Amino acid sequence: MLFADTVVADPAVHKPKVMAIMLLVGVIVFSFFGLNDTIFGEFMRPVIGEPTESGLFGNVAIGLVLSMLFTANIVLIGFLPFRYQVLLVWVELLLLFLSFFYSFGLNFEFIRSKIWFMISQGVFTTLYISAVSITLASMVAIVGAVAKLSTNGFAFAIASFYTSFFRGLPLLMQVYLIYLGLPQLGYVIDAVPAGILALTLCYGAYMTEIFRAGIQSINKGQWEASRSMGFGFALTMRRIILPQAMPLIIPPTGNQFIAMLKDSSLVSVIGVWELMFLARTLGNKDFRHMEMLITAAIIYWCLSMCLEVIQSRIERHYRTISH
Amino acid sequence: MKFNRRIFTIATGAALALSASMSFAGEALDRVMAAGTLKVATDANWAPQSFLNDDNKMDGFDVDVAKEVAKRLGVEVEFVTPSWDIITAGNWNGRWDLSVGSMTPTKSRAEVLSFPGVYYYTPASVAVHKDSPFKVIADLNGQKIGASTATTFELYMQHDLTIDAEGVPSFEYQLTAGELKSYKDSTAAMDDLRLGDGVRINGMVGSLPAILAGIESNYPLRVLGDPVFYEPLALAIDRGDAEFNDKLAGFLADMKADGTLSALSVKWYGIDYSSTEGGATN
Repeated sequence: MLFADTVVADPAVHKPKVMAIMLLVGVIVFSFFGLNDTIFGEFMRPVIGEPTESGLFGNVAIGLVLSMLFTANIVLIGFLPFRYQVLLVWVELLLLFLSFFYSFGLNFEFIRSKIWFMISQGVFTTLYISAVSITLASMVAIVGAVAKLSTNGFAFAIASFYTSFFRGLPLLMQVYLIYLGLPQLGYVIDAVPAGILALTLCYGAYMTEIFRAGIQSINKGQWEASRSMGFGFALTMRRIILPQAMPLIIPPTGNQFIAMLKDSSLVSVIGVWELMFLARTLGNKDFRHMEMLITAAIIYWCLSMCLEVIQSRIERHYRTISH
Repeated sequence: MKFNRRIFTIATGAALALSASMSFAGEALDRVMAAGTLKVATDANWAPQSFLNDDNKMDGFDVDVAKEVAKRLGVEVEFVTPSWDIITAGNWNGRWDLSVGSMTPTKSRAEVLSFPGVYYYTPASVAVHKDSPFKVIADLNGQKIGASTATTFELYMQHDLTIDAEGVPSFEYQLTAGELKSYKDSTAAMDDLRLGDGVRINGMVGSLPAILAGIESNYPLRVLGDPVFYEPLALAIDRGDAEFNDKLAGFLADMKADGTLSALSVKWYGIDYSSTEGGATN
């Protein structure tokens, strides 16, 4: 909640006027879809007769019933406490989503035959590329951040050029530039290292700014106190500044990791067999792209959700120890 | 500042290490024989030429041809799957040795790649939606046509196709698109065409085997008229190794003579595409 208000207003779902408007809008919208040739028409057969011949009357009747169900659902959920509201709305949206996918007439047998390979080959590759890249990017970022905060003109110029360049180019272009460009200089780089290098450089640039902000947020007094005790730069950084900056740096770094998990799909263009590549490839022979794309989408989503949970745990951990 | 100096030392060291590990592409044949593996670049997304089969291994006509070439060289075969534009760009730098990817030996490609020989021909055909009113190819003039990008099909639609291989029947441009839409591959064009006539496109130009495979998988499409041109499809290697080139050309001649190519073509397409007679019956 943005601000815990002490003034309790009547929730909108308890105002008859609001609900009446919602009902009316619902009737118009649902009628407009013309649902009498769908499964809803079959349900309404006792009232409207032969669904396909019921015309406007059938459409409006179906619209009215659906709108009433929809409004009743909202009013009922409105009476529940916050926690159950969230849970119920989540479940409803999820069911809606799944029925949407289900309506495609997917071949689940095909998905079952491919899913293990997608996980053992695709998810594994996606995760290890992302994990290696985020580790290397953190190292790049800390060097970059120190350089960006330095009074040395060369270091600042190089670091700011780096962040500007790599934040200013699309990641896909960086992948191509590194994979095709480096061999022109005489160094032939394989697909996986090229992908890792591109992700490292791109995310290193973003994370440089995160690290810089984290380091900058530590009070000047901490530096002065360390200086007065005779600490050098490296020791101050390692023992005084970074331990205090970490709680500010780690949560956004986790966010970057989640983003990278999805951006790693871009390295599929250079032939790395990660999740996205397999999603495009496995269904190709049997023309079952939708099956594979939806499966990969759900896998990506599950991975992100797991990481989001871990992320919120880490945030909570640092929030408690910093107070 | 002491710290900054240290950063520069590290950076210089890294740069030196990088330049020291530079590798230089040697003669392709020597590299293959020394490694004992032939690295073949092919597309994983182009059934029935090359695709992942039910065991999640590379399979298809191109893959079988590559395996046969490796067998005759007496080495193992390994497949890599970079995107098509990276293969056709040339300058492989020894990342892989050979492309068995049904590549048309056009003049512009010959500037960056060598073509040891043509191993089969595919008819390029026009496909439309099953329910569309079009009867002959000329009906499609001025309509929205799809073709996969950086292919001969797209060049044909741009009226800019030069095929300079031997034994290919001459062709003329029978079709002028009102709007040409480029796709990543022919499957993507077929996916758009299946939505209905004119929903996204009215027709597409693609390889006849790929279109027939789609129709077999219940894509609501039909082939319009006779093939518009025959596409010779060749092995490709990086430029600069005449010995490797001659060796591969020799293998191809043998495979044609002893019927291996015909057998593989019939196995995968049901039709012998190893000469230009194949698609004419369709």
